[in-house]
Amino acid sequence: MTATKAFVAGFVLLAGLVLLALSVGAQGFGWGDGGSLVLLRSPRVLAALAAGLALGIGGAAQQGVFRNPLADPGLTGVFGGALFGIAVLLGFFPEAAWQRAWCIPAAAFSGALATSALLVVLGGGGSSSRLLLAGLGLNAFTAAGTLVIASRSGESRELLTNGAYGDWLGMATLELAWLPVLLALGAAALLMTLARSLDLLSFGEDAARGFGCDVGGVRRKAVLLTALAAAAATCLVGQVAFIGLLAPHLARQLVGPRHVKVLPLSALLGAVLLLGADTLGRGLWPQAPLSAAAVTAVIGAPLFIWMARGRHE
Amino acid sequence: MSDILIQALGLGVELASRRVVDGVSIDAYSGQIVAVVGPNGAGKTTLLRALAGLIPSTGELMITKGRAYCAQKPSSAWDYRVRDLGEIVGEPVGFGDWLAKLGLADFGERRLTEISGGEQKCAHLAMALSVLPEPYGNVLLLDEPTASLDVAKQAAVYQAIRTCAQAGAACVIATHDLTFAQRCDRVIVLSEGRLVATGEPRTTLTREIIAATWGEPALTEA
Repeated sequence: MTATKAFVAGFVLLAGLVLLALSVGAQGFGWGDGGSLVLLRSPRVLAALAAGLALGIGGAAQQGVFRNPLADPGLTGVFGGALFGIAVLLGFFPEAAWQRAWCIPAAAFSGALATSALLVVLGGGGSSSRLLLAGLGLNAFTAAGTLVIASRSGESRELLTNGAYGDWLGMATLELAWLPVLLALGAAALLMTLARSLDLLSFGEDAARGFGCDVGGVRRKAVLLTALAAAAATCLVGQVAFIGLLAPHLARQLVGPRHVKVLPLSALLGAVLLLGADTLGRGLWPQAPLSAAAVTAVIGAPLFIWMARGRHE
Repeated sequence: MSDILIQALGLGVELASRRVVDGVSIDAYSGQIVAVVGPNGAGKTTLLRALAGLIPSTGELMITKGRAYCAQKPSSAWDYRVRDLGEIVGEPVGFGDWLAKLGLADFGERRLTEISGGEQKCAHLAMALSVLPEPYGNVLLLDEPTASLDVAKQAAVYQAIRTCAQAGAACVIATHDLTFAQRCDRVIVLSEGRLVATGEPRTTLTREIIAATWGEPALTEA
């Protein structure tokens, strides 16, 4: 498929999904009197779009940096780190958390950046097993940390548990979402500037340096921006795995591996997947909606196993 | 004498607290092909990586202008089309020319996983060669460029390197292929990280030096 066709198809699909998502609610289909329900649902749709975009492009960038198609900020502990950052803020400084719009995004970013840095130290080197084992450890550690804090803080307990289940989209308001949405867009735009460097990096560090690529600088920027994208997505939806894995995988299948195409298409497909998952979860069970994270896991987990099976070290 | 493009004095490299290259002095001039030979573990790859500026080294190292480097076993994490390689380094036209010279003219649309190991090697070589659109005064560092290639591809790669040299590049080639080394302008023989001999092939690839460096059985092969 040509890149143009893939992007047009993706945008058409996304537009259709947005219309569908705006018309699905607890009371079934409909836009309410004069579209009143649309206004009510639009923050959720906006949050899902921005989070999906950040998840998709963040996954593609992380795969590029680690030269590994199995990297996904959801599986490598970066989302776990972002949520842990939020948990630390809510657990230890509950008053400060809601005073400024940037407090929660900043906590998420700190957590995501810390786990990303640890991941580079523990899981670098291009080996899938090393990366995934380091990610597994970080994921387990941050999840345990979040759980401990959640169980000790009565007020934030439900909030943090919902975050761990990727079930925050329902509480999206424009007031809460505007900053993470801007951060997601900013991170995505800056990640796009790394497209050619990520291509060079795919030939290995030596070759990339030989072609004049500042390997250390590109790595640092990519890790920083992936952490920012992960933090923004976590603030909007909570922890969602597999979109960062699936979106780049689909993008490469459609338009080949050049990052100048894979990064934007992963962002687009990430938005399609997350909004699709959220709408499906709400549309099928309007009374007790399934979280977006649960729907993506049901689809993503088998695909991940299939991809991992086909990869030989 | 033409321009000196590489000058290394007492070059040393330590990897994992082991001295892999120890006090090696070499120079290479514009228009020259210099072969670096030696047994496995002699330090050929490390020397080339040090010359390419990829690893820190001690001693004096002067390299003028640009460097192009191609690793021993180049690979890619993603399954690019062959023509993507030229676009990634920003030299699609030059890449296409080198591809044709290496016998892969019609391979542009194929994916890397659809071509053989030798063909992949040639595609990566074309990528490295195309980085120097103007070879004059630049340095070409190739690690085992002819390994795993058939004789036609070996000849094409030698011809490509010779073309670069004639255009004014200094080419330093690490190789196990002593026949290839015989056709170079100068040979540097390394053993256990140290310089054993340097000079024209007829003075460096002698029976005595080969026997002393690789052992007696190597004589029957050489």
